[in-house]
Amino acid sequence: MKRFALAAMLSVAAILPAAAQETVDWMHISSIPEEVALMEAAVAEYEAANPDVKINMQFLENEAFKAKLTTLLQSDAAPDIFYSWGGGVLTEQAAAGVLRPVEDLVDPAVAEAIGSGGMSAFTRDGHVYGLAQQVSEVVLWYNKALFEQAGVDPASLETWDGFLAAVQTFKDAGITPLAVGAKDKWPAHFWWSKLVVRLAGQDAFDAARMGENGGFAAEPFVKAGEMFLQLAELEPFQEGFLAASYGDASGYFGDGKAAMHLMGDWDYGAMKDNSANKLGIPDDQLGFLPFPTIEGGAGDPTDTLGGINGWLFHKNAPDAAVDFVEWYTSAEVASRFGNAGFFIPIAKGAADGMTNPFKVQIAQSINAAHWHSIFFDQELGPQIGGVVNDISAELAGNALSAEEAAELVEEAAADLR
Amino acid sequence: MTTIAPSVAVPMPRRARRYMDRKSLVPLLLFIPPALILFVVLVVLPMIDAASFSVFDWTGYGPMTDFVGLKNYEDVLRHRHFGTAVRNSLLVIAISLLVQLPLAMWVSLALVEKRVSVNIIRTLFFLPYMLAEIAAGLIWKFVYDGNYGILPTIGDALGTDMPFVLGDKFWVMPAIMLVIVWKYFGFHMMIYIAGLQSIPTEVIEAARLDGVKKWQIVRHIKLPMIWGSIVISVFFSIIGALQLFDLVIPLSNGGPNNSSHTIVSFLYQFGILRMKLGFGGAVSVMLFIACVVITVVYRRLLFSREVD
Repeated sequence: MKRFALAAMLSVAAILPAAAQETVDWMHISSIPEEVALMEAAVAEYEAANPDVKINMQFLENEAFKAKLTTLLQSDAAPDIFYSWGGGVLTEQAAAGVLRPVEDLVDPAVAEAIGSGGMSAFTRDGHVYGLAQQVSEVVLWYNKALFEQAGVDPASLETWDGFLAAVQTFKDAGITPLAVGAKDKWPAHFWWSKLVVRLAGQDAFDAARMGENGGFAAEPFVKAGEMFLQLAELEPFQEGFLAASYGDASGYFGDGKAAMHLMGDWDYGAMKDNSANKLGIPDDQLGFLPFPTIEGGAGDPTDTLGGINGWLFHKNAPDAAVDFVEWYTSAEVASRFGNAGFFIPIAKGAADGMTNPFKVQIAQSINAAHWHSIFFDQELGPQIGGVVNDISAELAGNALSAEEAAELVEEAAADLR
Repeated sequence: MTTIAPSVAVPMPRRARRYMDRKSLVPLLLFIPPALILFVVLVVLPMIDAASFSVFDWTGYGPMTDFVGLKNYEDVLRHRHFGTAVRNSLLVIAISLLVQLPLAMWVSLALVEKRVSVNIIRTLFFLPYMLAEIAAGLIWKFVYDGNYGILPTIGDALGTDMPFVLGDKFWVMPAIMLVIVWKYFGFHMMIYIAGLQSIPTEVIEAARLDGVKKWQIVRHIKLPMIWGSIVISVFFSIIGALQLFDLVIPLSNGGPNNSSHTIVSFLYQFGILRMKLGFGGAVSVMLFIACVVITVVYRRLLFSREVD
């Protein structure tokens, strides 16, 4: 009995100091060890400066995160801060009331630094639900050594016709032209989305969303499918691409087995991490190109496809959560990640110190974009976006007609209008 | 027939009266509630939940307000991949019954003796069943991987090009079914071995002395005497096949191009991941009804046979 009492006292003593602390659960999806180490260092620094706050880092893998989030946010285990791509998913979450509006809490200076584009990406109906931290862009990564080997001039890929010709040249030289992780489907949807960005442009895309001119069954969307099929008919992707996840494809490209990979700027780090030797393609062998332009397309040549990603607050998040994210997304902290090449920070001045030439150039291209379109599968929400992903993987496998593909997207969109 | 009837088989009306006498009432009241509460909370309530949101258009967030009647059921039946999913599930049932169970029976007949070496082989066959489904799926994903896997290595040794089985519409289902047979035949083998070991050795001896051939002993003595085990294992096979999910996800994720979905992975992909929980609810209700129908029909047809 005595021993029990002692144990009870000890455990109370152990709990007491912890109880005075506020715990903030922070759920992230980064799996790159060096980036996580930077995040942990930031947490340690914040906790040292704010001894009454404890930041509890939690990790879920990308696909698992997307699958579990809906349930998680409505449970007692909901994280206070969690990763977000904005878009239609955020709209659903906001409408359901699982998020905390923080417009009264956010320091105007922070909002100023993030800029109007970043703030509006996380605003719904006048309420700010999160803070943007990073921007990203999908580019055509390429392997210079393989281009040389096949005798392909990167400049010839400026137009779609030149691009198709290059793909054929690679095929003839026995080199896999493109890597894609079509098992996960979203990597394949970049192809469809980029074709839509080029062919439809912002106006026709917005009109299609509203259901005007036949919605997503309109001409530019069918045309995008046709051109995707035109590419698929060349069998440009690595063998077994339909069974390859994003990580598989990224590693395949990183191992120097495919000439090109249409992927976000984050693949610069991920490609190394996924490669067999963890080194990937050396910087001097790596290049990237904008997506080929298409003659007669309505899109602006400067248009980009990518994301504005950041952190949302759960409805039960304490004020400390907002304070932490304000600090974490600030130029001071975000620039560390930018300088290390993990992502392009959005806060003003945060990207100035970036030395990675790829990231610097991509940041400039996003800044110069006439339309920075958000990943369609996120922007359109899970119900339409899921169908976009489906049809993209099927078009890549040459298993669906362009008309059917456009019809299916329109059907899903019409369901929600 | 002298079969050992499983206890599930016969709810006799005579027995019902026995529960009413006071001696068994107390333990009944003591021991039933915990199980019953767990069953209600973890099984019955979620079932009612799924059934209730199958008539709503619901994203999973907030309250359900958009009543749509049977539209979700209509959507499921009209979905272009639902037919594939149902066909695949039926295919898995067929392979389980036609390949897996005979294989398990054959192995169990060979391994029924109680010897150390036999025990070791038996354990080896049973190991895959003990492995978690996700782990098994990941292991086989590496085996099948067309770039780095074991399959292309074997292909190289044989001098042929192996297909990327998990990325090939034709090969993906056979590949998945191979894993299913590998994973579960050991489980059915164990059921049969348990049955076979309960056969009195005198019966077999006597038959042998009478000059009955080996195959005839199996056909006319062993199989009839473990009929109860067979009935149970067939039932597990069918229900397990209908619920197949966690092997498919790591292996093919339903791909390529949604050609390898089972009913449950279809539910997950197009219901839960798309935030169409009403749609998913409708699939689950249909699956539930299918399971109930199969159970009832199966019991009528087979479990009752032993009572005679």
